[in-house]
Amino acid sequence: MTEQQTGDVPSARPYYQPPSLTGRPQPANLADILERVLDKGIIIAGDIRVNLLDIELLTIKLRLLVVSVDKAEEMGIDWWKHDPMLTVRERGLDEENRELRERLAQLEGTPDDEEGGQDEGDGSARGRQSAGSRSRGDA
Amino acid sequence: MSDMPPAPTSADGPEPSVPVSDTATNSATNPATDTVTDSSTGQGSEQGTGRYLYAVCRRLPPGALQGVHGLSGEPLELVEHGDLVAVVSTVPLASFGEDALRRNLEDLSWLESVVRGHDDVVQAVAAHGPVAPMRLATICFDDDAVRARLRQWAVDLGYVLDRVTGSAEWSVKLLELAPQAEALEEAEAPASGAEYLRRRKAAVEQRAASSASAADVADDIHATLACRAKASRQLPPQDPRLSGLSGTMVLNAAYLVPDVDAAEFTAALDELRGRYPSLLIDARGPWPPYSFAMLGQP
Repeated sequence: MTEQQTGDVPSARPYYQPPSLTGRPQPANLADILERVLDKGIIIAGDIRVNLLDIELLTIKLRLLVVSVDKAEEMGIDWWKHDPMLTVRERGLDEENRELRERLAQLEGTPDDEEGGQDEGDGSARGRQSAGSRSRGDA
Repeated sequence: MSDMPPAPTSADGPEPSVPVSDTATNSATNPATDTVTDSSTGQGSEQGTGRYLYAVCRRLPPGALQGVHGLSGEPLELVEHGDLVAVVSTVPLASFGEDALRRNLEDLSWLESVVRGHDDVVQAVAAHGPVAPMRLATICFDDDAVRARLRQWAVDLGYVLDRVTGSAEWSVKLLELAPQAEALEEAEAPASGAEYLRRRKAAVEQRAASSASAADVADDIHATLACRAKASRQLPPQDPRLSGLSGTMVLNAAYLVPDVDAAEFTAALDELRGRYPSLLIDARGPWPPYSFAMLGQP
């Protein structure tokens, strides 16, 4: 890949933006405002029945983007596409780690068989590995 | 705009809704212009109009909301019961009916315009005293229905208003930029798939280790700020594309800070920034007390 040198910025990642200045009141960013208006505030049932589950699903979708885009997806993990009820807190780095170890163990153990589920590479991956089932998405 | 808001039709409503500004000539009290006199016309259908509740407060000074408009530029009006005041405006059920909402809530640009419009009104009310913000899309058919909610929830709403009086919400986020993981990603291409996965594993473990220390820092920061607040809540981390903040959000918290302690709170933030220069502490406020306005809280 030949890249033109357009300045002294060395291959900045396209989505990276410098953090905004802090410490003073600013116009609300969309995440802040959605978080509050959609997810907080007084709940009184009006005459128009809003399906709160719909709203919760939406906010959960927004939350899932936090972990999905930067971390899970780049590792080829797509559990979040199948199980929208999982929250960020329930799926921390520990699980991400475990998922990765499982995949590593599978790849090293049986490079031509994704369904193999052998577990030789990393002892800490044991326990999750059973009956060739590595997907948590449809658990 | 010649749209007329719906008016109360029954005589048992003790107080008619009142226009917020002196210039609002299309008073909601004029029954001749009523478009939703028969509640069955609006029920379950996408026709007619509804009354959108933004917030409940105590009595506002005259003209307090002058110059502030509701969704779609509709005038704001007040529905009163006792010392409680609901700030409302008229919305078309074509957009805010049940079916329409189900569709529209999934449309992020529609949602953004409505949440911002909702927040604009809540902010304007908050400038005049304690406010209990409603959750998005709290909609009644008419002012009588709004008043019935005020009557039903009067005690709880009064408690919420007492609880937030003289306080505002502050949002504080802690971001870790994780440069080590990025540096590893920039290394030369892996020789094999297994090599790639080993590197990924190392990167994730490195990230996990730094997250562990960041979590300790987050705990320290949260504890420092929480003891200067009346109440605090921890919220889920945010999508960087929505927040505009890059890095890993290791703390996203809301604090209910008494106005008289606001200077001390911001001083504590500055002190924390000095203590943790490598971390980004993003603090915003004051907000209306969205995160602390809940019915039935002890």
